[in-house]
Amino acid sequence: MPKLSTVYFQELEYTNDSIFDFPVGIPGFEDQVAFLFVEQPATRPLIFMQSLLNSCLCFLAVPALTVDREYRLNLSADDLATLGMKPEDPLRIGTDIGCFVLLTVSEDAAPTVNMMSPIVVNLRSRKGVQAIPTTSEYSLRQPLVMEKETAPCS
Amino acid sequence: MLVMRRRAGESLLIGDDIEIEILEVGPTRVKLGIVAPANRAITRKEVILTRTENVTAARNASPEMIAWLSRTLEPVLSKDNRQGADTATGNRARDHRTSPEKH
Repeated sequence: MPKLSTVYFQELEYTNDSIFDFPVGIPGFEDQVAFLFVEQPATRPLIFMQSLLNSCLCFLAVPALTVDREYRLNLSADDLATLGMKPEDPLRIGTDIGCFVLLTVSEDAAPTVNMMSPIVVNLRSRKGVQAIPTTSEYSLRQPLVMEKETAPCS
Repeated sequence: MLVMRRRAGESLLIGDDIEIEILEVGPTRVKLGIVAPANRAITRKEVILTRTENVTAARNASPEMIAWLSRTLEPVLSKDNRQGADTATGNRARDHRTSPEKH
């Protein structure tokens, strides 16, 4: 099996069928066209979205439904085309598509989650895209923790 | 902010090299035509906001932060598991599409 050195795992073995192809990359990283989504029992439900082409690039994500059980997707015709889907195709999260939201963490601010522009993957064609709706009810920087919990002191 | 009223078919200029024409005015959206030099990037604002957030999100987290995140998120997950939902993949058999956008 091919191996990859990664940000959060020293060396990761993966199979070629676990690669998700991002034909247009994601904004800011347009040249990153392939990602692995890694989940490990000790850090569930965190998802490590590791770039296949740049071993130093790994986003932290969580399934959108973990943050908001009623999360509603808003995919444009372009997003569907990138995913290789037709407008009439079913869009069940977990069955047809995966939907993840990226975490932003820093030492000096509370973690936030980008609910506005989710990472959407077609579980059949294994293509992915970051969906950026023209209007959204969701926040680009939604605080991850709603209760009175605070980030650890650094 | 400069506020200007224009009708379909009318234009405005920004400097002497960017022209924005109002092509069509619909009930909820306007269609714009933009003429600008090729070296001027024209991008939807939400894409730029997402790009900035992605660049920030790409900074690597410390092992302590990873541990704290999984501790913080775990209760959410176990609550969901009690209700029988597979949150790792968000496996719930319903369509998550929003209602079609009205144009």
